[in-house]
Amino acid sequence: MAETKNTQLTENPRGSLLHAVLSLIVPGLGQFVAGARSRGISLLLTVLTLFGLSMWTVAQRARFPEYAMATSVYFRIVLACAALLLFLLAIRHLLTRFVLKDPLAETFTMYGVVIVFFVLMVWVGDDILATVVSAEQLSQIHAGTALYSGGALAALWLWQVGDAARVGNTKQLPLNRDGSKRFPTMAGAIVIACLLVFALGYNLTGVDMPKAIREYQDVGILLPRILWPWRAAFAYDQEVFEVVQRIQAPCTDEAAAPPSNPVLDDDPWVSATPTCGELSSRPVTGGLILGTELTITGGNFVPGQEVLIRWANPIGNPFTPRGMGETTIIIDENGEFETKLNIPDAVISPETATGAQVHSLIIRQESVQVFGGRLSNEMQLALIGLLETIMIGLMATFFGIVAAFPLSFLAAKNLMAPIMSAPERIVGNVLGLLAGGWAGLQVTDFVSDRLGGLDQAPVQIFLVGMIAVLGLGYLGLQLGGRLSEALLSRLGKDGGYWAAAGLLAALAGFPGYQMGLGFSRGVRAIVLGAEVAAINEEFYGWIGAVLAAAITLLYLYRKRSTRRVPIGLMLYAVIRTILNVVRSVEALIYAIIAAIWVGLGPFAGTLALTLHTIASLAKLYSEAIESIDPGPLEALDAVGANRLQSIVYAVVPQILPPVISFTVYRWDINVRMSTLLGFVGGGGIGFILLQWIRLYQYEAVGIAVWLIAITVALLDYVSSEIRERFV
Amino acid sequence: MVYPDGTVALRDVSFEVKDGEFLGVIGLSGSGKSTLLRCINRLLEPTSGRIIWNGKDITHLPQGELRTVRREIGMVFQQFNLVKRSSVLTNVLSGRLGYTPPSWALANRFSRQDRQMAVRALERVGIPEKAHNRADELSGGQQQRVGIARALMQEPKMILADEPVASLDPVLAHSILGYLEKLNTEDNITVLCSLHYLDLVQRYCERVIGLRDGKVVFEGSKDDIAKMSDERFREIYGEDAVRMGGQ
Ligand SMILES: Nc1ncnc2c1ncn2[C@@H]1O[C@H](COP(=O)(O)OP(=O)(O)O)[C@@H](O)[C@H]1O
Ligand SMILES: [Mg+2]
Repeated sequence: MAETKNTQLTENPRGSLLHAVLSLIVPGLGQFVAGARSRGISLLLTVLTLFGLSMWTVAQRARFPEYAMATSVYFRIVLACAALLLFLLAIRHLLTRFVLKDPLAETFTMYGVVIVFFVLMVWVGDDILATVVSAEQLSQIHAGTALYSGGALAALWLWQVGDAARVGNTKQLPLNRDGSKRFPTMAGAIVIACLLVFALGYNLTGVDMPKAIREYQDVGILLPRILWPWRAAFAYDQEVFEVVQRIQAPCTDEAAAPPSNPVLDDDPWVSATPTCGELSSRPVTGGLILGTELTITGGNFVPGQEVLIRWANPIGNPFTPRGMGETTIIIDENGEFETKLNIPDAVISPETATGAQVHSLIIRQESVQVFGGRLSNEMQLALIGLLETIMIGLMATFFGIVAAFPLSFLAAKNLMAPIMSAPERIVGNVLGLLAGGWAGLQVTDFVSDRLGGLDQAPVQIFLVGMIAVLGLGYLGLQLGGRLSEALLSRLGKDGGYWAAAGLLAALAGFPGYQMGLGFSRGVRAIVLGAEVAAINEEFYGWIGAVLAAAITLLYLYRKRSTRRVPIGLMLYAVIRTILNVVRSVEALIYAIIAAIWVGLGPFAGTLALTLHTIASLAKLYSEAIESIDPGPLEALDAVGANRLQSIVYAVVPQILPPVISFTVYRWDINVRMSTLLGFVGGGGIGFILLQWIRLYQYEAVGIAVWLIAITVALLDYVSSEIRERFV
Repeated sequence: MVYPDGTVALRDVSFEVKDGEFLGVIGLSGSGKSTLLRCINRLLEPTSGRIIWNGKDITHLPQGELRTVRREIGMVFQQFNLVKRSSVLTNVLSGRLGYTPPSWALANRFSRQDRQMAVRALERVGIPEKAHNRADELSGGQQQRVGIARALMQEPKMILADEPVASLDPVLAHSILGYLEKLNTEDNITVLCSLHYLDLVQRYCERVIGLRDGKVVFEGSKDDIAKMSDERFREIYGEDAVRMGGQ
């Protein structure tokens, strides 16, 4: 069987049956045995992964998927497809052997097999399914996905059987230049695997082309309003006047009904008789009992103009009579009209109303709309939102630069790698930093008390705190380092080193202890539950402490010959890691958090975008620093410049063009991002855009979309112009 | 000197340079010339051995003091190592950084004296009119002169020149080495210069050391080179070396 489907070219006429059979039983085994180890393993893994993935996808149709059933059903489908394919391959074999006899045709007939196979799948796929799977099982799985992915899997299976036959016959393999065997291309397998994944993706993404084609009109109604919304961008002037006739319901004996309006000579008027009567009503049994019929006359309107008859309830709110809609009348050539109308059923039903209610019958005449030359409310809102959006992007970029620029030097490998320090110094640095930071916090506390707490003077306290913690921390770092170096040097060269190592190991114990606790609370608690895990969490804390100390000691033991630790590289690694983590979360997610923190609005968006901008700009800047020409840096080192001077005179001039370019590019991205931030409460144009979408105000939506598109396009142009100028 | 990847770039190298000497360093590419020069001002930290500068052991000098030693040792590089986007004047002024307070860098400030000194240095190397050009607008020879002017700003007692003319054509090479020679004779600045061509060595150096695979395989005056036999020459330049220039 494997022989029949062998698809060799003429110079490779016979494959190895043994290897083919091995691969038929276990995919990739034949290749593995033939010496193509990695080829065999990757084929096995591919087949297994694809089988598992398809089976799992296929089973998702049922609300409670039965994987065992799905597996067996899917397996049967694969077998059926394989049988079909084998049948086609056999026909092809006979055809090429006895009819065509042209070796070139052999390769081309392969395309024929593929096409016929696909057509058959489309044509008789349902029959294949029906023969191998019961209708009840079929309802539990995604039949279409099963069929097409099964077909691809069968093809892959057979492909690798044929491949094993070819690879197995090692004598026929051509040689590489270095003498190793050149294996045939795996392009076929890759194409088949891609087709399979495509079949799965088609299902998982719910691709439904027929629906898209059937319901194109839905978009046809909406699209014109979004595409050309500009009439809604302007305000229109319209003259409106209303005349009112009061109508009482129901009629009462004592209180006289409102009088019929008099006929006026010059001004428009309306009059009705009678001026009181019964409201229409809708009994629970159904139907509509019409209210009293009124005769309504009016005059002095614009001849030929359409007027509107409206009703207002006793509170004065206009309402549209239920089931009748608005009534329009055309005024006759004398500027008059006459009509009959039943009193509608009011919102306030007669049962709940106390006593007689006076309604208003309103005649409303609207002139044609005249272009007002002013912007509509929507347009004004959109413009304000757009400005806000641009500013959010701008502010985030600005804050981002300020924070990212200094950070980027710490995240640049070429600057950090040469920084080495002796453990004797690092001990003092760490202790001094901690002490300085603690002192800074004390100062902040003291100032906070004096100023009356965080609620009274948050900004002042924050600033004092920042300066105190950073300043004292830095001071502690410097002083501590010098002090410990001086003190430990008294113990002699080795003594000082090992004393420092011991101290550092002890220091490492603290974070180690916390990590141990973290492991217990975070990982053990998943399995054991928080209460049980808490019982002996201290034990894990101590394990963590001991481990951290041991690792530190071991590390320093290995560094004993140079007595220096690449502290710069460590710092670099930590900062890079943090930047990468911060960057990998979308600004949209930060915006959700920020909206909870500082409330909905542009500040939340700015905060979120700033965080993301800092991380990505710092990364980009530091990459710019890493790619500078190291020559000038070396030259300045040789001159005796210190680090700050080297940065100012050798690094900054070199990174300026890429930094400007990245920054402008980032600003561009930020504005684009901030249009979306409004969707999650981050302010800007997205905020109103979302509301308009929800209210189906598609003209307003169109205005916003247009404004965004224009801004982005302009920005794109400007930013590329700026970048071009600086690179 | 052993590189972190285990390459032993220098082994048992010991020599002395007298004040005011013009010492040549020769050797094949990869023989350790650059490494040697960079060990002297500790751009590379030697893994063992000692460096004595003016009778003082500077091998383990802490950064702060190292700065004051480095500023007395000028360095000239094969690739000039100028900041291409900065002006020539700024590049020259940066030679003065060892003497200026680091915080001034934040304001990009140099004193008036330093500026005048920079102009004089440029005059000395013959390109005062280029002061305000960008460094990358200059030709190779001019850039190397800027490099020398930068070293001059250090008021150096010694100049380390790492193949200063290897990227230049022969005429320019003589002009650049001429400047170094002038500094050597007029200002009594010690010069340590690695060179490729023997004729240049004979023309400019008083004394020569030859490196091969990180070891000193030759030490002598320039006359010794002229007299050197081809076998001796091969010891330095390897078996398949051909003598070029020189004779
Ligand atoms: N940064 C480095 N890391 C590892 N090996 C290096 C490094 N720089 C130079 N070397 C090696 O050290 C040896 C001496 O190099 P170098 O001093 O540059 O020679 P030269 O300047 O004479 O051409 C060479 O074998 C070179 O490969
Ligand atoms: Mg070199």
